[in-house]
Amino acid sequence: MTDTLAPTRPPAVELAGITKRFPGVVANHDVEVTVAPGTVHAIVGENGAGKSTLMKILYGMQRPDKGSIRINGEVADFRTPADAIAAGIGMVHQHFMLADNFTVLENIILGAEPAKAGRLDRKAARARITALSGAHGLRVDPDRLVEDLGVGDRQRVEILKVLYRGARILILDEPTAVLVPQEVEELFGNLRELVAEGLTVIFISHKLDEVLRVADAITVIRRGTTVASVTPGEVTAGRLAELMIGSELPTPETRESTVTDTVLLKVSGLTLDQPDRRRLLDDVSFEIHRGEIVGLAGVEGNGQSELIEAIMGIRHATGAITLDGVDMGGWPTRRRREAGIGYIPEDRHRQGLLLEASLWENRVLGHQTVRPARKGIWIDRKAAREDTARIAEKYDVRAPGVDTLALALSGGNQQKLIVGREMSGEPKLLIAAHPTRGVDIGAQAVIWDHLRDARAAGLAVLLISADLEELIGLSDTLHVILRGRLVARLDPGDLTPERLGSHMTGAAAEPDEAGAS
Amino acid sequence: MLRIRFGKPALGALAGALLLAISACGGGGGGGGDAANTGASGSGAATSDLKVGLAFDIGGRGDKSFNDSAYAGLMRAKDELKAEVKDLSPVGDGSNRGELLRRLAGAGFNPIIGVGFAYAGDVETVAKEYPDVQFAIVDAPSSGPNVTGLTFAEHEGSYLAGVAAALKSKSGHLGFVGGVESDLIRKFEAGFVKGAKDTKPDIKIDSKYLTPDGDFKGFKAPDKGKTAAEKMFEDGADIVYHAAGDSGLGVFQAAAAAGAGKWAIGVDSDQAQTVKDAALQKIIMTSMIKRVDNGVFEFVKSAQGGAKGGKTISYDLKLEGVGLATTGDHISDVQDKVDEAKKKIISGEIKVPDKP
Amino acid sequence: MIGAALRRTLITAAGVVVAVLIAFAVSSIAIRVAGADPFAAIAAMFDFGVRPIDQVDSVTYWINRSVALFIAGLAVAVGFRMNLFNIGVEGQYRMAALVSAFVGGQVLLPAPIHLTVIIVVAMAAGGLYALVPALLKVYRGVNEVISTIMLNFVAIGLAAYLVRGPFSGRREAGRLATATPELPPSGHFPDANFLITMFGLPAPRGAGLYGFIGVALVAGLVIWLLLERTRFGFEVKASGMNSDAAVASGVDPRRMVISAMVLSGMVAGLIGLPEIMGRNHNYGTSFTAGLGFLGIAVALLGRNKPVGIALAALLFGFLDRAGTPLQFDGIPPAVVEIIQGTIVLMVVIVNEVTRRIVLRWEERRAAARLGEVPAGAAA
Repeated sequence: MTDTLAPTRPPAVELAGITKRFPGVVANHDVEVTVAPGTVHAIVGENGAGKSTLMKILYGMQRPDKGSIRINGEVADFRTPADAIAAGIGMVHQHFMLADNFTVLENIILGAEPAKAGRLDRKAARARITALSGAHGLRVDPDRLVEDLGVGDRQRVEILKVLYRGARILILDEPTAVLVPQEVEELFGNLRELVAEGLTVIFISHKLDEVLRVADAITVIRRGTTVASVTPGEVTAGRLAELMIGSELPTPETRESTVTDTVLLKVSGLTLDQPDRRRLLDDVSFEIHRGEIVGLAGVEGNGQSELIEAIMGIRHATGAITLDGVDMGGWPTRRRREAGIGYIPEDRHRQGLLLEASLWENRVLGHQTVRPARKGIWIDRKAAREDTARIAEKYDVRAPGVDTLALALSGGNQQKLIVGREMSGEPKLLIAAHPTRGVDIGAQAVIWDHLRDARAAGLAVLLISADLEELIGLSDTLHVILRGRLVARLDPGDLTPERLGSHMTGAAAEPDEAGAS
Repeated sequence: MLRIRFGKPALGALAGALLLAISACGGGGGGGGDAANTGASGSGAATSDLKVGLAFDIGGRGDKSFNDSAYAGLMRAKDELKAEVKDLSPVGDGSNRGELLRRLAGAGFNPIIGVGFAYAGDVETVAKEYPDVQFAIVDAPSSGPNVTGLTFAEHEGSYLAGVAAALKSKSGHLGFVGGVESDLIRKFEAGFVKGAKDTKPDIKIDSKYLTPDGDFKGFKAPDKGKTAAEKMFEDGADIVYHAAGDSGLGVFQAAAAAGAGKWAIGVDSDQAQTVKDAALQKIIMTSMIKRVDNGVFEFVKSAQGGAKGGKTISYDLKLEGVGLATTGDHISDVQDKVDEAKKKIISGEIKVPDKP
Repeated sequence: MIGAALRRTLITAAGVVVAVLIAFAVSSIAIRVAGADPFAAIAAMFDFGVRPIDQVDSVTYWINRSVALFIAGLAVAVGFRMNLFNIGVEGQYRMAALVSAFVGGQVLLPAPIHLTVIIVVAMAAGGLYALVPALLKVYRGVNEVISTIMLNFVAIGLAAYLVRGPFSGRREAGRLATATPELPPSGHFPDANFLITMFGLPAPRGAGLYGFIGVALVAGLVIWLLLERTRFGFEVKASGMNSDAAVASGVDPRRMVISAMVLSGMVAGLIGLPEIMGRNHNYGTSFTAGLGFLGIAVALLGRNKPVGIALAALLFGFLDRAGTPLQFDGIPPAVVEIIQGTIVLMVVIVNEVTRRIVLRWEERRAAARLGEVPAGAAA
């Protein structure tokens, strides 16, 4: 709507009056976005505000019911992503879509292979990729296997892949969600270079600090429609948050310490070998007291998953794990759960839900051997339903009813259901992996409140999160895990996300802070 | 995207419904086709009161062998005795054999023939329910006053096949492929081996059954028959005898593929005539004919004449119930020896075992 | 407003009906190609005979056939519920039938005990035979599809050997069929002809209406309770829907594989019993084979739910019976197999379509209620 730059060229993207209805629900209405060429344009909004639908419309995956799309001044009518690609639009998805056992080069050309007389022309492809990465400062070795690459490198491959197909307008969907702060800086550097080359970047995010740092213009979406178009100079993060949700940003700060002297969970010498490779877990030892939240920081894939699965008894590792002084060594998962361990898995769709089952059946999941779900050999359907309704009420799970299928819920509501379920039955220990991932800001505050209350009541929590502010804010103690080892024990009281980030990548190895207890 | 996915099945449904409508219209206008079809069953050709029902076993019509031989007998009854005939096949697992007999009897068919020993129990039961109807069972003995058993001395016929094969073989190595390792098929093997060994004591015979007893797939698996026979030819056999129903086709294919000088011996019908492929006809040295057609026809004829059951007729060499086919004249040079063996069996000089 | 669960069931049921109708439409082309009139053919399928006794016989055959198909479908469904493809139902029921027929023929007991012994032996034999692939899967990682197919061959061969050798009974002179010793009368399951005669109809001939239908119905009810109402059933369902989530929820996957497989085998053990206890009174070469494979189709069609399986079994039984009147009208009985095959194919397709419809509908309903975009639509 607001033209922040006097256009000498027509806008790269102009969305006017876009409305998209799904039966019974309006996903987008009257959306107005104007993206000037050669800029980084951020689109911000809460989860569920309609950002994804809007991007799917722009990328040709869905067609709007009303409104028009203009690309470089020309009216566009995309029926498939192929149309959008032909118009020079490229999408970098939040979840990378790369084949692990292919090289970088192969991944980039996959689906757009240059052929010479019917044969794959690797030479031409290599020349083009080298040229592209040189021109845009996207350093990556074309011959490495993708499985050996880090997250930041993979993202560069995704961007190169899109550029390789001739994209001049790049859509990046939550690109920083998987990156540590250092990698975020690198990404932003790359984006600036792309823009300098005359490309246009549409950047979708809900991390307001980042948006303010990198964007030239910002469009805010709330409840399916655009509510403001601003420039970073005009607003503060707080003002932006208000525009997004109409209220203040909650913080994950914990209040006074509730840590007691009683050790609830003691992990010592936990080791998990894998044949011919480095150890997944290497002599991991730590303690969690009643009323304490212990945070575990680390770049994904450094042993966090293995550690929590070992504590849950899903994986078998050597070493000792005691709960309340009792050795859990030989216990199966069921017994650990019955002993009072709650589990919020890192991937709720994989480990936390039966998507095609009703909400009340999902309430039973993991608690099928204890009341209220169980009555002798039977499942107590009535009690399970009632308790599901209670959770929905207490944790603000928005669903039409307890018979709704879990997959019909938005990600945030699914997560709230899981948190509510795992907090039921007064657990002694909660293993919470990314408890607020994909949850909107309002729900995030609800979950944090529940965690804090339970902590005050004596709950011990092992917290894993990619959100460093959440980790620092909630934890009483922080451990950093790197390549299966606990490499640092930090006090969250005087820690910045940047310093934590450098520990996570192994860049900072100050001896005074290193060494697990 | 979902809309596209739904589109295809929905389109398919529409197409299906349209086709139904089209075919229905066709059905209304084109009665001629139907008449041709039912005419084959003979309802229109009946000029006598004789209504003959015949129930096949699994595999049914079209095996170019045992069942088709029974069908030939039925057709002969239709032509010569002006009978109305009806033949039925059971469901794939043969669980409704009794139902077929009952249905035929209920529709007024008399006499009724059950083809195959698997009908033994059902013929016995249904014959009691319909004491006025004459039943026959092929390959099993009589089981009631209105049941005629039609059995065949397959071991005697196979003995002659063994004699001919031993005399014709250049490599001194024969093969036998049985469909299902049941006692019935073992009779074929027993006679064949005895005939060959009596003729050439040092002859080598490979035997292979396609499926074990109780698994009737062996009668309907030409691919298995082919594999088994191929192995025998590779190992040096030059003549392979089969008693494997439909699977025999595979044996013929293997013989044709094995090259010159390799032969197969057919079974039940004169397969050099019933097999359609001319290339396969050429490699069928002879067939051990089991005159089920004669058995069926004679039974119908005597039932028409008012004969009652209660007895078992054994079609052996003496009654010409079994024998060797001469189509192609491939065994004319050894016919003397074969006839000699035949005489000895009839006279009782040679006793052919019915178990290997 | 009808409940979400009920509405899902209705959509699913409608999908199956559509599949059956499409299958008939497609089959009518085949009938047409075979040179017959599709409508005449469909009419012939409903021809149960003229006299009451013929009609009673036809219906009895239909029901009897359905009883065996129902049990077979049930056995397969138990495994399907947790994504275990027990192709071995075929071998399991054959072994169970043979062993129970043999054991039943060796003992002489009061009828109720005798019947119970045969049933228990059959279930034990079926369960034990299913235990083999379960153990192979759990301890050696052998895919159950492969191992059960192999074990089917073993069962066929072993049964053929046993029935001719150690387990064979006295054979009547001249008969070529081999069989186990005849069950004494106390081992004959009484027929249920009273269910027909009480309506003033003549009693069916032959073996009559299998009394085993009662056992089948009880088995259906027990399986339903077990799968839908118990903790065990919940764990089976959870394992089938999302094995990772089940493991994380404290379900022991090994124990589940073994118990589901053995339960499937135990139900499979019942498949041959109506025939053995109600008609043949022995296990012989003419024992009905192939029901285990038909059970797969029935379970698919019935969507692994006992009520659905019962309906599917009745449909397949009806079609099997229809083969006879079709032949009287000069239509090749292969038409029946075409219809059955098409139905299964259509059901697989339509099942997937209705599943998507149901899921979409759920998402929209939830979204409509809450005014937000569901996670599924964004994925």
